[in-house]
Amino acid sequence: MSNSQNTYYASRRQQNWSRNQNTTRFVSAVKLGPVAHTVLVALMITVLGLIYLTQATRATSYDYESQKIDSQIAELTDQKNDLNIENARLTALETVKKSSVAANLTTPVSTEYVQQ
Amino acid sequence: MNLELLKGSRSRILAAVVLGIMAVFVIRLFYLQVIQHDHYVGLAKEEQENRFVIPASRGLIYAKSGDDPVQLVLNETVYMVFADPVTVDDKAKVVDTLRKVAGGNVRTDFDKLLDNKKSRYQILATKVTRVQADKIKAEGLHGIGFQEVSQRVYPEGSLAGQILGFVNTTGEGSYGLEGYMDKDLKGKDGLLQAVTDVSNVPLTIGNNNIRTPAQDGANIVLSIDRNVQSKVEAALAAGMERTGAPQGSAMAMDPRTGKILAMANLPTYSPGEYNKVEDVAHFNNNVISDPYEPGSSLKTYTLATGIDKNVVKTSDTFNNTDSIKIGDNYIVGNATKGQTGIITFQRALTWSLNTGFVTIAQRLGDGNSVTRSARDAMYEYFHDRLRLGQLTGVELANEAAGTIYSPEDEQGNAVRYATMSFGQGLNTSMLQVAAGFSALINGGTYYKPTVIDGYMTTEGYKQNPVNAPVATNVVSKSTSDQILTATHDARASSFGHLDKPGYYIGGKTGTSQVGVAGGYSDTETIGSYLGYGGGNEAEYVIMVRLSGKDKQFQGARDALPIFTDISNWMLDYLKVHPKG
Repeated sequence: MSNSQNTYYASRRQQNWSRNQNTTRFVSAVKLGPVAHTVLVALMITVLGLIYLTQATRATSYDYESQKIDSQIAELTDQKNDLNIENARLTALETVKKSSVAANLTTPVSTEYVQQ
Repeated sequence: MNLELLKGSRSRILAAVVLGIMAVFVIRLFYLQVIQHDHYVGLAKEEQENRFVIPASRGLIYAKSGDDPVQLVLNETVYMVFADPVTVDDKAKVVDTLRKVAGGNVRTDFDKLLDNKKSRYQILATKVTRVQADKIKAEGLHGIGFQEVSQRVYPEGSLAGQILGFVNTTGEGSYGLEGYMDKDLKGKDGLLQAVTDVSNVPLTIGNNNIRTPAQDGANIVLSIDRNVQSKVEAALAAGMERTGAPQGSAMAMDPRTGKILAMANLPTYSPGEYNKVEDVAHFNNNVISDPYEPGSSLKTYTLATGIDKNVVKTSDTFNNTDSIKIGDNYIVGNATKGQTGIITFQRALTWSLNTGFVTIAQRLGDGNSVTRSARDAMYEYFHDRLRLGQLTGVELANEAAGTIYSPEDEQGNAVRYATMSFGQGLNTSMLQVAAGFSALINGGTYYKPTVIDGYMTTEGYKQNPVNAPVATNVVSKSTSDQILTATHDARASSFGHLDKPGYYIGGKTGTSQVGVAGGYSDTETIGSYLGYGGGNEAEYVIMVRLSGKDKQFQGARDALPIFTDISNWMLDYLKVHPKG
């Protein structure tokens, strides 16, 4: 038996095979033609497009949500301001002077101060 | 299969035509997309993007109530209700709803406005509150719209009206603090630029979105104490009713800091109803913008100048003859006669004798006349040190400087300065007089009068640091002590019984002549009183003035009781400890 130099390039895997190791080789039973390839590519593009549209729409829906919250904040701020104004009116000097509490107040007869 | 286009064949011609058309398309597209790129991008932006102004809220104004800030001016959102008469389909319901819900705010004959079908915009009601607007909206009326408007609200009504000023229909601050601090109160509007949908809802898509938040106006806390202000206004009104004075002004300040506690003028107005004011003079704060000849209250200034220059003491004497000659033909007389002979300057102050103060002016010179050196000394103290005739810088609009003639001026002659020694011949505002007097009685430190105590921020109330003195030692401590005693003694001799016992109160009356063309009016005088109160130190300075066309008012008879009323109340309110 004589050894001969192989002049063709052989991959490492092929070299291994040549060493009779346990290897398998998968060969698909389904053969895709050019039409099937085109359809698949078109489908992939469609799916990617849909994903993009979903994301873009979701961002916009956040805008509407944000707008709704802004409106609520503005509404609550207005209500707070109204209450604040009502509070200021109820605690205004004229209102206090006319209150029953003020009507029952009396002037102290004398005042003394404690020196600290 | 090998297709060959034969020369001159129809296929070749068709190819050439198609190529030509394609070339036209390419050139046109190049023109549109490359050369006209910016133009069309601009048009697209205009279509898709909107710019919104984010309005800044006008700053609120607070007063003090003791140590706590209380709201004096707030903002309220109100609505203007308008209609498009063409689209209103149920006029009766519109009229009925507006009458029921916003009866006081509807325009006169607003129902007739709805009949004007030539107009598409008719204002039916103004200043409708949010609650009212909600009720109207709930009725689902066709052809009715609402426009938000922000307006100022004054829960205290007319209180401190001339200090506050108002915001006019164009949103500009006018008079008072609103006018002076307009820029700070306004804040800065923000900007929102974004791609919007058909309902103008801003979307985050797009590369050119801008959001600059609005900077709301500063919330200012005044040094004005609303309780003191209310008392001063009430006491002034009562005093004016008692004396029949058509015009009156009063103020109170803390001589230890320059902080103004109250400033009142009557007649006044309510800033919320400024459009109903018939006489615009009511907008003026006469305490700062109506300089006048203050009269005898300025004798305290002359006495301080004399003491500080070491030419007189209150116990020094002079010969009072009830008149004194200035120059060749000008004679100054006393309003109060009979205190003649050798008397002290303290007595001259107590009885407000003009001759005593002309004598001090003379002693500032050679002892016989109001020389140039005497006038220089008086000008230095009155103008340079105690700042009469100068703007104080108080944070209120329309402050007037007044006039005081320099000795270098032709008008600044001996006669002028002789009359200045008893408070005539110069124009000063009440605030200038009170601020200078504060320096005379607080140990000699001049503080800039201020109405601002601090600012309300998101973190709470931030009080301004202690007001730094503008000048110290404007008079010596010794001079200040002597003025304090002299004015106390002047008051105590005749009016001490009016004051609460145990406290140290002092002051000086003023009855000044009113200048008219060619001299002074014989039918008109201004009555004023300038004084202080406290225990071991002066804690407040109060000045009162009463005036009126062809009316004669006197300091002691008319203005002094108003001072006394306010002063006795202040002792309790400020919890002043008696002198001990």
